[in-house]
Amino acid sequence: MDAITTFVSQTVLYATVYTLVALGILIGGRAGIFNIFGEGILLTSASSGLIVASLTQNWFLGFLTGALAGGATGLAYIYVHETYKINQFLLGVIFFILGAGLSDLIYKLVVGVTLTPPIAPPTPVVGGRILSELPILSGFLHQSLVVYFMYAAILIAWWFYYGTKVGLETRAIGEDPKAADVVGVNVTLRRYLATVIGSILIGIAGAYLAIVVIKTYSSGMAGGRGFMAIGITIFASWKPQKALVGGLLFAAVEVLSFTLQIVAKNFPYQIPLMLPFLAVLLIMMIFKKRIEFPASVGKPYSRE
Amino acid sequence: MATTPESGISNRARGVRGLSLFLSSIQVYGIAIFLSFGVIAAISAILGYPVFEVLETLVFSSFRSFAGLKSTIKVSIPLLFTTYAFSIPFKIKFFNIGAWGQMLLGGAMTAVVGLLLADWNLPSVVMIPLLVLTAILAGGVFALIAAYLKADYDINPIVSTIMLNYVALQCVAFFCTARGFTDPKGGHPQTMLLPSSAALGFIGGIPYSLLLAVLAVLLVSVLINRTRLGYEINAIGYNPVAAQSYGIDFRKTIMLTFFFGGALAGLGGGLEVLNIHNRLLVGFADISGVNFGPLGVLAALVVAGNPMAVPVASFFMSVLLVGADRLQRTMQVPVELVFLLQAVIVLLIVITRARLSAKR
Repeated sequence: MDAITTFVSQTVLYATVYTLVALGILIGGRAGIFNIFGEGILLTSASSGLIVASLTQNWFLGFLTGALAGGATGLAYIYVHETYKINQFLLGVIFFILGAGLSDLIYKLVVGVTLTPPIAPPTPVVGGRILSELPILSGFLHQSLVVYFMYAAILIAWWFYYGTKVGLETRAIGEDPKAADVVGVNVTLRRYLATVIGSILIGIAGAYLAIVVIKTYSSGMAGGRGFMAIGITIFASWKPQKALVGGLLFAAVEVLSFTLQIVAKNFPYQIPLMLPFLAVLLIMMIFKKRIEFPASVGKPYSRE
Repeated sequence: MATTPESGISNRARGVRGLSLFLSSIQVYGIAIFLSFGVIAAISAILGYPVFEVLETLVFSSFRSFAGLKSTIKVSIPLLFTTYAFSIPFKIKFFNIGAWGQMLLGGAMTAVVGLLLADWNLPSVVMIPLLVLTAILAGGVFALIAAYLKADYDINPIVSTIMLNYVALQCVAFFCTARGFTDPKGGHPQTMLLPSSAALGFIGGIPYSLLLAVLAVLLVSVLINRTRLGYEINAIGYNPVAAQSYGIDFRKTIMLTFFFGGALAGLGGGLEVLNIHNRLLVGFADISGVNFGPLGVLAALVVAGNPMAVPVASFFMSVLLVGADRLQRTMQVPVELVFLLQAVIVLLIVITRARLSAKR
């Protein structure tokens, strides 16, 4: 039982990264902006968030920095896109490279080459004795405060898109910006907001990855999770509640492959590490008919 | 029948149009490069590096010594191939972000086949063409997966090629540690050395792979300008709706452009294995921690994915990469500053180009 609880706990630990990034991508996509530079934001927020957190020994300032770095990246991206109507994917690749370069640059400039990497301060953990002793369920509940933030973010997003008028309007932008514009929705403003809020969530995920999961920074530490989250978003048909399921699934595969590396030394551990990426493609092939896509995602909108 | 979009224009008009295109591209590159060097100068000034020396080292390291030029050529060969890998499908508005994966798999298969054939004692004349062909096929077929997923399942190639990159990355890691291939004495995950008959070698410090790179440049220009496929690619790029109504087979064109793009990236990977490392090792497709895939995308975007201008773009980016390496070693300026510079240059070029075309 303990082994299962540990497995669940580890899965939730990693799933928070995937889910927050997927949610960030989803929020942009619902307004028609396909964020493919999540990996770049993850890296920049991981390095800047960790540096601030370890210098001030204050976890909250670290997360704030990560969120700001994410939001600023998102704002720059959406500004360039909306002003010059440059292809989102093309711009996304450039912003990914910008983010990847910036993350190592910040780290090298502030920390430099050192034998003692900066260590993150601990983050508050939710759950007293009762929560931490429940079998299996404690894996979900006895977690960092940020995990609870993720649960809350999913719930709020779900309520927003399916329970409020503004959410319905935002979904309409993703489907048909022209129609939304005709009924008086400010498409450009909503796209700005969606991209920046989505990028802030990805930024928080980056800070979480460095501060809570790995507890330090290393070059390229996001390891493609920002890209995998694109797969999760598509798998989830751009629905918040399904993004959590997808995040847990991908995290479970990742934790399993770690376990395999330790338990079965001779087993080629690279094969399970390939699985999530192949799974994205297979899922997209198998559920081709059932996967829904906001119709305008990736397309620029100008009033003409 | 086979008319180019410009066939109705007289030579004189074409000349005038060419001149104005030339002037506008000077404007694009001038503004972008001037601004981005301004950015780099400002950042170095803020960080307390000597601005003039930083810029001078960055631009002239490749040309001050023969060694500098040699390393620039060495870097520009793989970069040329990944730049083509993006540019060719980009002609029909598809994004191949998978040059990294195609390069990795091309290199991996070259090393695997080379090691499997090690006991056969084949002469170089057989071995090298065989391995070059392996690299081409591995990269091409790997890229075909993405083309097939686009054609039959409508999966965006951006998503599929990114996913496949990580599959290829794990393939390389697998072969570098697999029994029968791995070099247990290497501190770094790597395979055993390939037989000497598989080594391409150098002439005066310049790798023989340069010859294959030049050949690739010629072949691509023939492909784009002189073949039916090239005509179809141009037609789709120029006006996809018209091209479809003329009966051009989209599916076939997607497949072929991805195959050629992937084949070139695979060849690039194979040549790194055959000519530079003589073995497969983790990180063989990287330079200073960044891999040739995104660098190729950047280089391609410098020239708006025009295959004819790819050699110039990849050489220009290599000059900056070699300058960056020199900066890090002599002045402790982090190489990432230059990656940032490259991304900013490309961003500014893309923006300026968009502004100019909006004005027209």
